[in-house]
Amino acid sequence: MLAVILSRLARMVVVMVGISVITFLIFFATPGADPAARIAGRNAAPETVTAVRHDFGLDRPIWVQYGVMMRKMFVTGDLTSFVNRGQKIVPTLTAAAPVTLSLVAGAAVLWMALGAATGIIAAAFKDRLPDKILMGVSMMAVAMPVFWVGEMVNLVTQSRLHDTWAFSWVPPLGYVPLSESPARWFLALVFPWITLSFLYIGLYGRMLRTGIIETYQEDYIRTARAKGLTARRVLLKHATRAAIIPVVIMFGMDFGVLVGGAAVLTEVVFGLNGVGRLTYQALKVLDLPMIMAAVLYASFFVVLANAVVDLLCILIDPRLRRK
Amino acid sequence: MITKLTPARPGRWAATVATIALLAGLAPGFAAAQDAHRGGTLRLVSVSSQGTLDPHVNYTSQFWQLYAFLYDGLVGFKKVGGPESKEVVADLAAALPEVSNDGKTYTFTLRKGVKFSNGKEMTTDDVEASFQRIFKVLGPTAGTFYNGIVGADQCLAAPADCTLAGGIVADKAAGTVTINLVAPDPEFLFKLSAPHASILPAETTAKDNGNAPIPGTGAYMVKSYDPNNSMVIVRNPAFSEWSKDAQPEGHVDEIDYTFGGTEEAAVNAILNGQADWMFDQPPADRLAELSTAAPDQIHLAPLSAWWYAPMNVNLAPFNDVRVRQALNYAIDRDALVSLFGGPALAQPVCQVLPPDFPGHVDQCQYTLDPGDSWSAPDMDKAMQLVEESGTKGEKVTIVTEDNAASRGIGTYLQSVLSDLGYEAAVQTISGDIQFTYIQNTNNKVQISISQWYADYPAASNFLNVLFGCDSFHPGSDASINIAGFCDKGIDDRMKAAIALGATDPAAADAEWAKIDGAVMEAAPALPLFTPKQVDLLSTRVGNYAFSNQYHWLIANAWVQ
Repeated sequence: MLAVILSRLARMVVVMVGISVITFLIFFATPGADPAARIAGRNAAPETVTAVRHDFGLDRPIWVQYGVMMRKMFVTGDLTSFVNRGQKIVPTLTAAAPVTLSLVAGAAVLWMALGAATGIIAAAFKDRLPDKILMGVSMMAVAMPVFWVGEMVNLVTQSRLHDTWAFSWVPPLGYVPLSESPARWFLALVFPWITLSFLYIGLYGRMLRTGIIETYQEDYIRTARAKGLTARRVLLKHATRAAIIPVVIMFGMDFGVLVGGAAVLTEVVFGLNGVGRLTYQALKVLDLPMIMAAVLYASFFVVLANAVVDLLCILIDPRLRRK
Repeated sequence: MITKLTPARPGRWAATVATIALLAGLAPGFAAAQDAHRGGTLRLVSVSSQGTLDPHVNYTSQFWQLYAFLYDGLVGFKKVGGPESKEVVADLAAALPEVSNDGKTYTFTLRKGVKFSNGKEMTTDDVEASFQRIFKVLGPTAGTFYNGIVGADQCLAAPADCTLAGGIVADKAAGTVTINLVAPDPEFLFKLSAPHASILPAETTAKDNGNAPIPGTGAYMVKSYDPNNSMVIVRNPAFSEWSKDAQPEGHVDEIDYTFGGTEEAAVNAILNGQADWMFDQPPADRLAELSTAAPDQIHLAPLSAWWYAPMNVNLAPFNDVRVRQALNYAIDRDALVSLFGGPALAQPVCQVLPPDFPGHVDQCQYTLDPGDSWSAPDMDKAMQLVEESGTKGEKVTIVTEDNAASRGIGTYLQSVLSDLGYEAAVQTISGDIQFTYIQNTNNKVQISISQWYADYPAASNFLNVLFGCDSFHPGSDASINIAGFCDKGIDDRMKAAIALGATDPAAADAEWAKIDGAVMEAAPALPLFTPKQVDLLSTRVGNYAFSNQYHWLIANAWVQ
């Protein structure tokens, strides 16, 4: 077990070093990205640009700059932004993380519950009306871009119908920390959760339905039926349990990627200043230290979520326990 | 009315109290009017914040707008709306300085009793340290605004050891500060009015202070700042109004500035009364709705700025003046205005200096019948010039930013260039990269779309900065003369005009108008239009005033 954990950790370090080196090199290969000119400001005198370059260590060899940046990020923790001069990167990122975690975790609960229900109901009513309705709605959910859904939700809840009984309870856009007020935290996140999970409910529902229908062809399902098990037991205990494994693997990927910043569109539309928005802002203004930190943070979560999912799969499927 | 409270004998105190009581009794209406609007919280929103809070470093209009009521310089722009906002008034200095030694020496007498928000009294030590700090923190304008101070050369070369010896001479006992310049500079008071010359406590660290607020002398102070979330601004407890023109005591008690969301959401929040003002411009597609649904909440004001397309005079085909002139003749400036959102948001322009700017005289060379203003494009003339230049069929790439307006203009210019016989293409880059990308000669940009906003009301801030030889630095990302235009004759005339401004401002302005014409004759750029500022306010905000320097004067507004 220890060997497994160690090898996973080693792989994680390799992945993260690789990603950070590539990000670093791409940054310095981008024309117009000279951080010294950006820090010095528009119409700065050449002397000022030179002084800034020296002050920020940008006149040193590129590998030295990489080493210094990594040391400041992981060892001393005092890495500061190139754009928001004086802003410490690590505390900024840890301050933004709870926002994204709240958003993604809540949405994940919604989409796993509703996605599973959609898939199972659709499979149970295969080719009949409930299946057709559910699959039609799922298709729509997958086809609608999340930022559009978000803007439409805002249009209705914040603008057009904001003053009616239906939506007057909707708080202004933005995040309320859980520690400040759990009730307001919940209210502020209701629509972001629904918006973010919409796509995944559709996607997971469709995937699970196909998986269950395929599993129905397996021999062990015929055996289960032959044993005289009820249709419900066959569906839930035998077919769904096997069919849900690819869904769980995908969940791990999606969850990691979203926590790492891929929920940016939802965050921006709903005014939630999370990791995704932070990354997006950093990319827009070419803030290298923030980009590096955000990229490493995201890759960490993807690797971590995958490890957790591997363990989950072993719990779900007894066959994976035997070697 | 300024009541001077000096340490006085009890008898005088009693008299003062009696006088105040009498005044209050005589003019209850006046006192009530003053108090009626005091208090409340202004809620401002913006999609993003703009970096460091350090007034010596930050160079963005978003935060300069806040510095107007957070910090003071020795002098400052008058905090009123309208044309008077271009005037410089005494701020931390008791009066405008005495200028002697042929315009090279400025002597300021400091106001007494002005305190920083940490309770410490401002003295000449703070002034001296603040000027050194401009160089020590590698301020963005250290080498362009303040390089004329004696000793600035050494400070630029070795910022850490900056003393400005001989440049800034303080007499603590007399409370005077003398600034010596290498050469007369008629714009020096404007430069001193910029937030980069704010007076900060002497003990402030000589490094960019980042997100930690530095105590200031303004009517308000920053209580907390998180660039990823919000800024809270409260009254400066140590403040007492010394000059309404320089630093008025604000009406509201608190200003909450939140960062995040989208422009779309900000408009909704203001209409719902959840926010009072947005920094970003409302999306163009909502303006029609706003102008009917909330016409009283919209305020429009022309900016001291221009959108322009610099043409690289060192690269083909724009190294031929005829090609640059041809494009100037060919573009339909009304079409450009409508691309930006119509006449309500911009006005057509065919010269460098914006309307109502010092040195501006209406002139338009590139129109159907040249004269004061633009009427219609002259395609025949443009075709003829292109024909003469023999550059037909060459490839031209227009580099634009990735926003709708810039891309739209790029596509329009592409069509005009195609009509003139060129093989034109548009290259779109992220706005933040584009601005430095187009400055660097190594990137071989032929024509691009950019903007320039005035730092202070002086013609040289447009003409000399954008088309002067001194701001052209080949191979650097910081080379604001994007066209690479360096005409010895015009450059000498600009330097002479700056010098003339010290003795005869009116004659200098007349000369600037001629230089404006001369630059346009060489046509290193296509003037596109003058943009207007759109301020959308909630219904509870009153007393809107727009300053050319600081835009909406936040501290002058009230919410009750």
